[in-house]
Amino acid sequence: MADPPRENRVSRAGDDLAFAGAARQAALIREKRVSPVELVTTYLERIDRFDGRLRAFITICRENALAEAARAEAEAAKGAWRGPLHGIPFAVKDQVDTAGVLTTSGSALLRANVPGADSTVVERLKSAGAILLGKLNLTEFALGGTIRFPYGQPRNPWNPEHDPGSSSSGSGIAAAAGLCSMTLGEDTGGSVRSPASYCGAVGLRPTWGRVSRHGCFPAAWSMDQIGPLTRTVEDAALVLGIIAGYDPRDPLTSRSAVPDYRAALTGGAKGLRIGIIAELVAGADTQAEVRSAVRDAARGLAGLGASVEDISLPLIPFSGAVFMALCDSEAAGRHKRWLSERADEYDHGTRRRLVTAGLIPAAAVHRAALARALIREQVLAALAKHDLLLAPTSPHPAPAIASHTAPVTSKEDAAARFFGRRSYTTPASLAGVPAISVPCGFTAGGLPIGLQLIGRPFAESTILSAAHAWEETAGITNRRPALSAAGGAL
Amino acid sequence: MADLAPEDVRRLAASLSLPLTGDDAAEIAHRLNAFLDALAALDALPLEQVEPWPTRHERIA
Repeated sequence: MADPPRENRVSRAGDDLAFAGAARQAALIREKRVSPVELVTTYLERIDRFDGRLRAFITICRENALAEAARAEAEAAKGAWRGPLHGIPFAVKDQVDTAGVLTTSGSALLRANVPGADSTVVERLKSAGAILLGKLNLTEFALGGTIRFPYGQPRNPWNPEHDPGSSSSGSGIAAAAGLCSMTLGEDTGGSVRSPASYCGAVGLRPTWGRVSRHGCFPAAWSMDQIGPLTRTVEDAALVLGIIAGYDPRDPLTSRSAVPDYRAALTGGAKGLRIGIIAELVAGADTQAEVRSAVRDAARGLAGLGASVEDISLPLIPFSGAVFMALCDSEAAGRHKRWLSERADEYDHGTRRRLVTAGLIPAAAVHRAALARALIREQVLAALAKHDLLLAPTSPHPAPAIASHTAPVTSKEDAAARFFGRRSYTTPASLAGVPAISVPCGFTAGGLPIGLQLIGRPFAESTILSAAHAWEETAGITNRRPALSAAGGAL
Repeated sequence: MADLAPEDVRRLAASLSLPLTGDDAAEIAHRLNAFLDALAALDALPLEQVEPWPTRHERIA
């Protein structure tokens, strides 16, 4: 690429380039103010400096990413643009297949698994010009509850003693810590939204069927959905527009046309009817700082012209247990053979979760499926009256890692740990509707708080538009974690 | 319903060829009792009025 005038180039010094976001970086590359090699090198240097402790990455595709960047640079010099993500480095949760690159699903059982082909989402990002930088850490098999991570303990960039959220842990860390331009996660019961909330990133769970799951190790077939984890809402819109759409290799994808999500960002929040889910905002589990930040965000959206009111969805508190009964029993069936033959290769937290699910009576699982239908009806009925539902993404900020590793001491302890928090994100999963987590504040201790907006089926544009309007007003996504060279916050 | 004890969990797991090691049985008993309580609470809901279809088929394919 011919060098543009020096004064027009964007310096790699400082963090500005790393945190610029994919949409802005793509524009800088088009303007030849940044080269793909500069961008990839920036992130590789940051990974070397910070990821030793954060452990966002399982695999780093260093040589291949640099070679692809050089190729993208040569193509750009000739005016040959592959697509809207030309030269943009991305990373994906290691649950998602990548041709010729180790894909572990976060488990020692798959420590030698190298797929022969890309998943649909990776194929689409590459076709848009993006460059695979690496594969991202996760809880084992995307189930949550891992005690000992076989590829390193992932840590929250705002405080490395705290959890980054699960199961797309590395995706949240890498997006928030500026370790790549954008990432993909997979959300079954909140696995994109929870890391987004804990790490201060933007995480979008699309409508079930909006994005192909081909090449993604399944957790629960009727709820699995791949989505972006990014620094900005605009980046989430950009990425969704590329990965969404019908895929004959996933027959459950929708044939509905994919809108221009970025164009919809200008829609704002004016005139939207927003229902605040009282059970989640005012619930006893919701910490005061979270409640306050979410109420402030609701007032902010009202200030932007939305009509906001409290509503009650009384079945919501059942969601966590219903979700886990359905998801875990399916996982127990899928893992039956490996559990019998290779039990000692599982993390013991995962193994206990799967064995527990294998002992739940089938009749109870069926009743959970019936309860799911009731919960879905209640969510959809609320969305018939409101454009969006609003709630905290989590009742609390990122908990200390040590709180996860202590043994379960009673059934009350188990219910609080496994069902309570999940009742915040699983209603959207059970209903198959889209939801986003966007930062809405910080605790006094400096941990991010996430605001969740839930929308109607295939109404991602409405969610993104409102979230973008809020983001522009609040300016919270401009805040960056102060990382030390050892990898944690200063 | 009375809570299941670790010994109950050991018997059930053995009959289903599910692996247990160390102190698994005690913790799994807590987890399983939590599930059984939570799912028993669903009996208060009008479950007979719905069918368990999980997705929005009208928008798929």
